[in-house]
Amino acid sequence: MKKYITLFHINWQNSLQYRFSLIVYIFGYSLYIGVLLYLWSAIYSEGQTVGNYTLSELTTYYLLQLMINSVIFSYVSWDVIENIKDGYFSNFLIKPIDYYFYWFTVNLSGKILEGLFIIIAVGIISIFFRGHLTFPGTSAALIYFLISVILGIVLSFEMDFCVGMITFWLTQVRTFKFMLQTIILFFAGAMLPLDLFPDFLVRISDFLPFRYLVYFPVSIYLGKINNPWPSFAILIVWILVFYGISRVLLLRGIKRYEAVGI
Amino acid sequence: MKQLAYNIFRKIKRYLHLYRVFLSQNLKEDMIYRSNFITLAVMDIGFVSVSVILFKIIFTHVTSIAGWTFHQSVILIGSVGIIREMAYLTFRRGFLELGNHIRKGTFDTFMVRPMAPNIHLAFRHISISESFGEAITGVVLVIYGILHLNNWTWVSIPLYIIFLLNSLFVYYGFSLLINSIVFWVIKTQELNTIVYFFMETSRYPGDIYRGVGKFIFTFIIPIGIIATVPASVLTGRTSWSSALIALFVGISFLTTGILVWRKSIEHYSSASG
Repeated sequence: MKKYITLFHINWQNSLQYRFSLIVYIFGYSLYIGVLLYLWSAIYSEGQTVGNYTLSELTTYYLLQLMINSVIFSYVSWDVIENIKDGYFSNFLIKPIDYYFYWFTVNLSGKILEGLFIIIAVGIISIFFRGHLTFPGTSAALIYFLISVILGIVLSFEMDFCVGMITFWLTQVRTFKFMLQTIILFFAGAMLPLDLFPDFLVRISDFLPFRYLVYFPVSIYLGKINNPWPSFAILIVWILVFYGISRVLLLRGIKRYEAVGI
Repeated sequence: MKQLAYNIFRKIKRYLHLYRVFLSQNLKEDMIYRSNFITLAVMDIGFVSVSVILFKIIFTHVTSIAGWTFHQSVILIGSVGIIREMAYLTFRRGFLELGNHIRKGTFDTFMVRPMAPNIHLAFRHISISESFGEAITGVVLVIYGILHLNNWTWVSIPLYIIFLLNSLFVYYGFSLLINSIVFWVIKTQELNTIVYFFMETSRYPGDIYRGVGKFIFTFIIPIGIIATVPASVLTGRTSWSSALIALFVGISFLTTGILVWRKSIEHYSSASG
């Protein structure tokens, strides 16, 4: 356990070095969310409404999405891909550290740091939209929301780790990852709340794990889900399934590994 | 006067010739990675389809967005793709490579050649493949949109092309301004992330902005006009005032971009020297 705490600490400091790029990214993404907020304001000011959402709920939805995009979504596979492609993975074969938990720790420390930055950004944007925000009605909703965020971090990491594992089989994994990322964001409800989708897309999203990354936590926060326990159960099953897949891919990947650079 | 006109004409002719030479050279480079070409195109088509699907879903709930119908919005999305490909055919990839050139010191070459460094940087990295899929889908979307308009005239096509070029100036000026920072703070490849979000957010009609937002997204971060004005011209929604504002923004971004770039380039300290 101690070595993972050290690792957490080292990676925290490494990430701090890249704070400039982090700030630039957060600025860019905030701009994107800001534009979407203008879009919805324009639609609602013409007297139109979408689904069961009020303008405040939609505004809150996108601000939370902005936060979730930094806190939940794992982007660690970019480094995993690099690590395997360049042959640095060889070092891990002889180190007394578990490859899965290594990246889990790296991801977690990065996410917590990014989370601190994004909370400041969301705070600033919230000032502009203070008349249009919704807060959870009950403290239970807030607690459920936090639980769903923590579970979301784990699930997102596992899926991302699996994508990284593909590098053992496919070197051109980056293109694949770009496409997958868009599909995940789409079915997670990052671009539009899922209940605005046409029925057949809603039904597809019900069968996919991605909805637990954005739509589910935000819906809990907005008080649209009163009893989240059945969904929590399914989410935990997904987490176990992806843990299993990660392990199998890692075990089989090591056998295929070619150790570039040795 | 006559002499001046002649000189400008000669200069343009020379750069056109250089463009042709660089283009054929870059094409040869592109040909090496033919399978890459297809992957990129497929990816682009996928990304554009997602934005169209998103608009389609929004339009199942509403009839218009700030006065824009679905088919007009499709023209807007298509225009973004066309502007992106125009940028890749001229300057865009040069800026993506700029960070590398500066870190390695290879930017020196651009300083000593008998052409302006910004133009050399642009021409050296002309790319057809990078945004080709988006351009194709862009043209298809624009044509599809036009076929569903009823107040459309042939006259709007040359105007559309003029305003596309104007938007290219805006895009170029903005890129120059952002990338000028590179000479002051060396480790800033992330700068093009800003430019990326700049084009991503220009898919939404400029008419949605109100108040301070209207000002910011017209004059400071002109995402409210870059695709909106050409698409407005084509769909016959534009007013004289917005067209003139767009031309003003185009000229001022291009000139300030070039001036700031020239000033910043004096700060370049070669890494290899």
